Amino acid sequence: MPTLFSFAFKNIKRKPLRTGILMFAIALLASALVFSLSFVQRVNGSIRKSSERLGADLLVVPTNARSAAEEVLLENKIKSFYMDRTLLDRLRAVKGVDRVTEQIYLVTMSTMCCSVPEALVVAFNQDTDFIIKPWLREKLARPLVRGEAVAGDESSFNIRLGLVEVDSMLFGNVFRIVSTLDKTGTGLDNAVFIGMENMEAIYASGKAKNVPPGKVSVAFVKVKPGVDPAAVAMEIENTIIEVDAMARKDIGKNIIATLKDMSRIFTMTIVLAAVMAFFLVWAIFTAIANERAKEVGIMRALGAKERHIFRIFLIEVLVIGIAGSLLGIAAGTGLSAIFAKTFSIVKQLSTELSLLDRSVIAVISFAGGTSICLLGALGPIQRLKKMEPLMVIKAE
Amino acid sequence: MDQIVLDNISRDYRVGSTSIAAVKNASLAIGKGAFVSIVGHSGSGKTTLLSLIGGMMTPSSGRVLFNGTDITTWNSDLLSEYRCERIGFMFQSASLLPILTAKENLLLPVAFRTNHPADDGHARRAEELLHAVGLSDKVNAYPAHLSGGQQRRVAIARSFMNNPELILADEPTGDLDEETENEMMQFFLRMNQEHGTTFIMVTHNSDLARQTQKHYRMDRGVISAI
Repeated sequence: MPTLFSFAFKNIKRKPLRTGILMFAIALLASALVFSLSFVQRVNGSIRKSSERLGADLLVVPTNARSAAEEVLLENKIKSFYMDRTLLDRLRAVKGVDRVTEQIYLVTMSTMCCSVPEALVVAFNQDTDFIIKPWLREKLARPLVRGEAVAGDESSFNIRLGLVEVDSMLFGNVFRIVSTLDKTGTGLDNAVFIGMENMEAIYASGKAKNVPPGKVSVAFVKVKPGVDPAAVAMEIENTIIEVDAMARKDIGKNIIATLKDMSRIFTMTIVLAAVMAFFLVWAIFTAIANERAKEVGIMRALGAKERHIFRIFLIEVLVIGIAGSLLGIAAGTGLSAIFAKTFSIVKQLSTELSLLDRSVIAVISFAGGTSICLLGALGPIQRLKKMEPLMVIKAE
Repeated sequence: MDQIVLDNISRDYRVGSTSIAAVKNASLAIGKGAFVSIVGHSGSGKTTLLSLIGGMMTPSSGRVLFNGTDITTWNSDLLSEYRCERIGFMFQSASLLPILTAKENLLLPVAFRTNHPADDGHARRAEELLHAVGLSDKVNAYPAHLSGGQQRRVAIARSFMNNPELILADEPTGDLDEETENEMMQFFLRMNQEHGTTFIMVTHNSDLARQTQKHYRMDRGVISAI
């Protein structure tokens, strides 16, 4: 016996091209949703994490090294630049400065077992540090000892392959990589971090000739509570002419603005795609309603209630909406994966989507695709279910 | 008690600013198991009268009583149940659903029943009815693969699917050749006599009308006994 389901399925199969077009439109919308939401979620996560990751209000670098510092922090470029360590005390003396910690950027490392691409080695002061230590507390509940290192996310590639606790030769000294940091989206992901107490041995090895003793690359500054970081930055630059000071919010400002603009474009694209899909579904179901008016009249005359008619068409719409949305989610996920590997702007983003993020995005896209399909078809279906059965007889 | 009573019903249509009376003050009483025919010219209001009896439209005035209950007071759902379970319709054309086979077309009204039993007796009944109208070999054929006459016979079989108390037949043999028309008429008479099914049949064919128990004529919306 034909059920409302089997009847609806027969109707769906009746015009495969039209059904295909509808599914494609919904799939397009759902895939745009998946792609855009994934991007927006990653951008938001990345901006948030980068900001948390830096952990300082100001970044102080040697004069004219501002671009190089940004290239290190944001574009994974390996650069080294240095300023005199004595500047740190002068920095601490600037009004409004609360805490200062320094880092030294050293270039290159190699493992004992195999070759590893060139990387940035960052020596940080464990006594004053407030940049790396918070992450170490999460991943490694103790300070690093001499001869130990932690790797940034990208640098931990080898570790992910199973080479945990790998020994690496670094400037003539053997270091054991004991942990990794989360991806930050900054150039520091490509870095390996060691304690400043290792520098003596590195200087002694003579393998880091480009790093003069008594120099540091960058100083991170925390300002006192309630003090405007921009004002302190200006004060630093006025007081110490050998340095440039950047407020945290200004670092990578252009990239963040570009990413935010892209998010807005995606949002607008989704809205447009949703409106287009809505009207397409509405137009096609209006055509279907006109085409099947007689059949609906026959069914009504044979005893179909309004809710029977509504259910038959609802099943059709839901099947098309659900199938289209599922196809779209698969396509959108695939597209995001391809895009993430191909486009450098996405490659720089720090945040990989978690399973929960992906599931939420899939559910939102599924609900979005299916409900647009449903909303578009609702008007014509409502009109159809009210069809007078007499129409069949009179139309003959 | 009469099964169908039309109590002074009228039905008007509005065409622009003009009101056209399709049925005028019709009063009629038809007992259970009766077989009546209605003849009349095209546009005389016969189909509108059947639609009023079948609960497919409401009268502008008057009452339609089915087994003593005024169906004009019923809501859409009750009227659907009435059409599904008490009435069998034969339309002016076959009016089959093209995506369903002959058998599935017969089974469709069962799917709309409020409490349809889950047993498989319906499929057997559908096949028996198709056999009764001479279409045993077309059970699984789609309407597009049937001739006009065969489609008409499927529609006739469908009208009996839910064991209706009343058949409303609007020129049911219009597409049929003379021999098949007679066979169908004999089938109607048999259903009327064996099952007590009431028939109200609109026809242009005076030979068929003569085989019924009571004859009415409609002329410009007015019904009168012949």
